[in-house]
Amino acid sequence: MSANVSMRDALYEAPGPKTRRRVAIGTGISVVLLLGLIAFVIRQFYVNDQLNPRYWSFFARWTTWRFLLRGLAGTIRVAFTAGIIAMILGLLLMLGRISHNRPLSVACHVITDLFRSLPSLLLIYFFFLVIPKYGLRMPSFWMITVPVALAASGVLAEVFRAGVNAVPKGQSEAAMALGMTHGKITRKIVLPQALRIVVPSLVSQLVVVVKDTTVAYVVSYPDLMQNARVLISNYDALVSMYFVVALIYIAINYATNQFSIYLAHREGTSIMSRTTENPV
Amino acid sequence: MAIETATPVIELRHVDKHYGPLHVLRDINLSVAKGEVLVVIGPSGSGKSTMCRTINRLETIDSGEILIEGTPLPQEGKELAALRAKVGMVFQSFNLFAHKTILQNVTMGPIEVLHTPREQAEAEAMELLRRVGVDSQAAKVPAQLSGGQQQRVAIARSLAMHPTAMLFDEPTSALDPEMINEVLAVMVELAQEGMTMVVVTHEMNFARRVANRVVFMADGQIVEQNSPDEFFDHPQSQRAKDFLESIKGH
Repeated sequence: MSANVSMRDALYEAPGPKTRRRVAIGTGISVVLLLGLIAFVIRQFYVNDQLNPRYWSFFARWTTWRFLLRGLAGTIRVAFTAGIIAMILGLLLMLGRISHNRPLSVACHVITDLFRSLPSLLLIYFFFLVIPKYGLRMPSFWMITVPVALAASGVLAEVFRAGVNAVPKGQSEAAMALGMTHGKITRKIVLPQALRIVVPSLVSQLVVVVKDTTVAYVVSYPDLMQNARVLISNYDALVSMYFVVALIYIAINYATNQFSIYLAHREGTSIMSRTTENPV
Repeated sequence: MAIETATPVIELRHVDKHYGPLHVLRDINLSVAKGEVLVVIGPSGSGKSTMCRTINRLETIDSGEILIEGTPLPQEGKELAALRAKVGMVFQSFNLFAHKTILQNVTMGPIEVLHTPREQAEAEAMELLRRVGVDSQAAKVPAQLSGGQQQRVAIARSLAMHPTAMLFDEPTSALDPEMINEVLAVMVELAQEGMTMVVVTHEMNFARRVANRVVFMADGQIVEQNSPDEFFDHPQSQRAKDFLESIKGH
């Protein structure tokens, strides 16, 4: 079926000769502009003495990398834990919201919107500054993980709900006609299909979680960002360090996005046209 | 045709339904006896699909009463589910479970609702799939089958519940012409075996050949009902005459 027709194919008209010429000219101009921009950046680096070896030489030392990698491990630990918590909580919030129990549904709706609209930094301050006042002291790992997870759970609840809504109504009607109960229909028919639909957006949402972890410095948790800041003050090398750290974040998130694209294709083909593997 | 006078399998009494200002079902009274094949026809928008769907409460009603084997249709919960389990339903768009294999589609009801042991459910399912001629496709997923095959699986899925009656909501309307007959053949066989059936359809030949009674609906009302020969050869109402005239040659 249409699983292999990508959005690009669907929304994209094959260009004619005039359009192709215009595209070629546009491409040429952008390449020139881009090269100019890169040259300008390098020149500015040079002019401002940012290419001076003293800003870069410490990257040749293993200890620098070890410290950064430790930070990266911290980032991954926080992002991973927060991601898992957010998925479970998001799923529960969504299930509560679509349940037939009116008070539960309203409560979950309110909580979802609350988490979704509060900036994660505000949530972090809440766990860092407010909650300890009432006697609940948490290690810094949880002070960053919990608020990041809460913020993401609101968004994920909406992602899950979009998935549930994307399952055709006929699927649950057919299950109803068989005499299945609401709970069973949700578990056996709707959720399995909804999850397949949302896996790609779920994974790309994890990119947001990874980015949210960068505020870990607020609670002094040694993540990549925090460790980079330590190195910056040690070596007095702001630009070069941020440059390298930015590349690392881009690499993580690029990999995550590629993974979600891979999943999208895999899930898309497996549900629409699974071949005769998986015999009974 | 002799129709038993015992409790009707399906009975609608003074059923009314509105969609906002639209009065889609107006005082519907209908009863279907055991073993009867009732064909519902009428122009689109006449409420025939809606009526069909009210019988297992996929559509709610505003007033009136619906009884299945003399029991009022429950409003919700396990009681409603239990009653639905006894009434099979075949949809226009098949609605096979997209994430399950053909075999799993057929065993879903027996295993999850009737708590039939898996082996038994699978054996019965294979038998049903053989009957509708798609047993060789058992391990595939619905998207790999043609529309006609999918609809035959959908019929097998309903039959797996051992229903007391079957509802068909335009079962051939979404099919390519060459696949309509393979589905109708299965339905004819079912009718001959004595299944109680309510069939909403545009297939006039099927109605003439198989129906015990034809119900003609227009504007949410049952305008007339009669034996197929009487109805098709001597329609009483102007609406029915116009409708039959408009579909002549189909």
